[in-house]
Amino acid sequence: MPRYGMVIDLKRCYGCYACSMACKTANHTPPGVFWARVLMGEVGKYPNAVRQALPVLCMQCEQPSCMEVCPTGATQQTDEGVVIVEKDKCMGCKYCIMACPYGARYSVEEWESYFPDGLPLSPLEEFQKKAWEEKSGVGVATKCDFCCDRIGDGREPACVEACPAKARIFGDLDDPNSEVSILIKKERGQVLNPEFGNEPKVYYLLPR
Amino acid sequence: MDPKVNGQLQHDWSWLIAAYLFLGGVGGGAYTIGAINSFMGEELGLSTTVALWIAFPALLVGTMFLIADLGSPSRAVLAAMKPKTSWIARGTLIISTFMVLSFLHLVLHQFVAVDQSVLNVIAIAGIVFAIGTMAYTGILLGASKGIPFWRTGIVPALFVISALVTGHFALMLGIAVFGDIAETSAMLRVMALEAAVLVAIEVLAILFFLQAAFRQPDPRESAERILRKRMFVIGYFILGLAAPLVLMLVAYRAMAGDGAGVVTILGLGAVLGLIGGLILRQAVLICGALPTLNMAGFEFRRIHRPKEPKPGIGMLPPS
Repeated sequence: MPRYGMVIDLKRCYGCYACSMACKTANHTPPGVFWARVLMGEVGKYPNAVRQALPVLCMQCEQPSCMEVCPTGATQQTDEGVVIVEKDKCMGCKYCIMACPYGARYSVEEWESYFPDGLPLSPLEEFQKKAWEEKSGVGVATKCDFCCDRIGDGREPACVEACPAKARIFGDLDDPNSEVSILIKKERGQVLNPEFGNEPKVYYLLPR
Repeated sequence: MDPKVNGQLQHDWSWLIAAYLFLGGVGGGAYTIGAINSFMGEELGLSTTVALWIAFPALLVGTMFLIADLGSPSRAVLAAMKPKTSWIARGTLIISTFMVLSFLHLVLHQFVAVDQSVLNVIAIAGIVFAIGTMAYTGILLGASKGIPFWRTGIVPALFVISALVTGHFALMLGIAVFGDIAETSAMLRVMALEAAVLVAIEVLAILFFLQAAFRQPDPRESAERILRKRMFVIGYFILGLAAPLVLMLVAYRAMAGDGAGVVTILGLGAVLGLIGGLILRQAVLICGALPTLNMAGFEFRRIHRPKEPKPGIGMLPPS
């Protein structure tokens, strides 16, 4: 059984937001919900300061604090190590949102149009809303699930497929010959805030 | 890496949860004081009666606020499925048991003639679960790994003290409204002094809490935000703590004389104290911010999640 993880090479990422858009397209996330986000920051001091992008998503933690606090058992971990939300068990208490130190979870009770001034949903939005409600549900916690359905079809997560710089690499962390394992070992992959103790399965290769 | 990206406040828990935590605290605090008084003799019987009439309704209404906040209220029955790991599940069991006990105590105390020893047993069990309820309202926040401001370790203690203060104020208000002032003035005078002492302890607790928050970078950001909120500084600190403290001491001194007009002072102090308790919880909730992301010396700040959708491509911005 594989144990899925991801490597994000910050040397390659130039913050184009293609991953965010691909995720929204693939998962039909509502306005304001970004399962795959890109944070921007600065490295260095003037005159040598440069902007640095930091793509973030659910870290698919080995020890997920969201799963620990879920009172209903709706948040679960699959055999492949992917943290998922069983929408029919979630009561929407939002405690998992408070428990996730990476801010990867959302709860949406009403789909609002992307367009301003109370305009009705466009046909595309109607389609997306229906698809979202079927997959993720309304009034329940939602999060990135490494595009489980796509993995099942033998494809990669949408953000990985869309990345034009090949900054995202997806694979089996338990396979020592997989690209992710080799990169983590060779380039000393780091995880965000290891002090949280969540043991994320998304690794970063730092800019030199 | 400089934190050039805005920090992100949680906005999923707000007034409904604040009201739930507040009412849970009021119910637990009032019950604890009233039930302890039931062991002190007949002259404090009114305080027990009033406490019982406050506790169960407060818990019931508080639970309704919680259910109203749920995204899928119909699944609220699943709330206690994982008590081994989840504080919400544990809290559900604690509050449910406390509700049953407080309701039973109220019915047996008011409407059924039972032996005092039975009431004493219920009172002891009720006090245990009332304290559990007061502590739970703080532990719920303290166990949230994603909000460092709530994890400074002081929040549970602060909420327990605040629960005792607000429960005490609710009890005083009830006694002042439903009791005969000639018969209750001595009891209210003592309660005014007790309230002043409890408020003074809460002042120390909130100062300790803020001081602890200022010692760490992430909680400090939340502490700075909370101190910038007029709601907190004026609504809680001045009107919800300082004013009741002064009013209780004034009432205590005035009641040594003829006590004229003291009920108004007591009532005003109690109402302000209760409002302050609600504001405290709301302010602590809405100032909770996610931690700063960092990795091997690099520090990142998250972008703010936009609440309002931006105008779409090709659309004119709203005039």
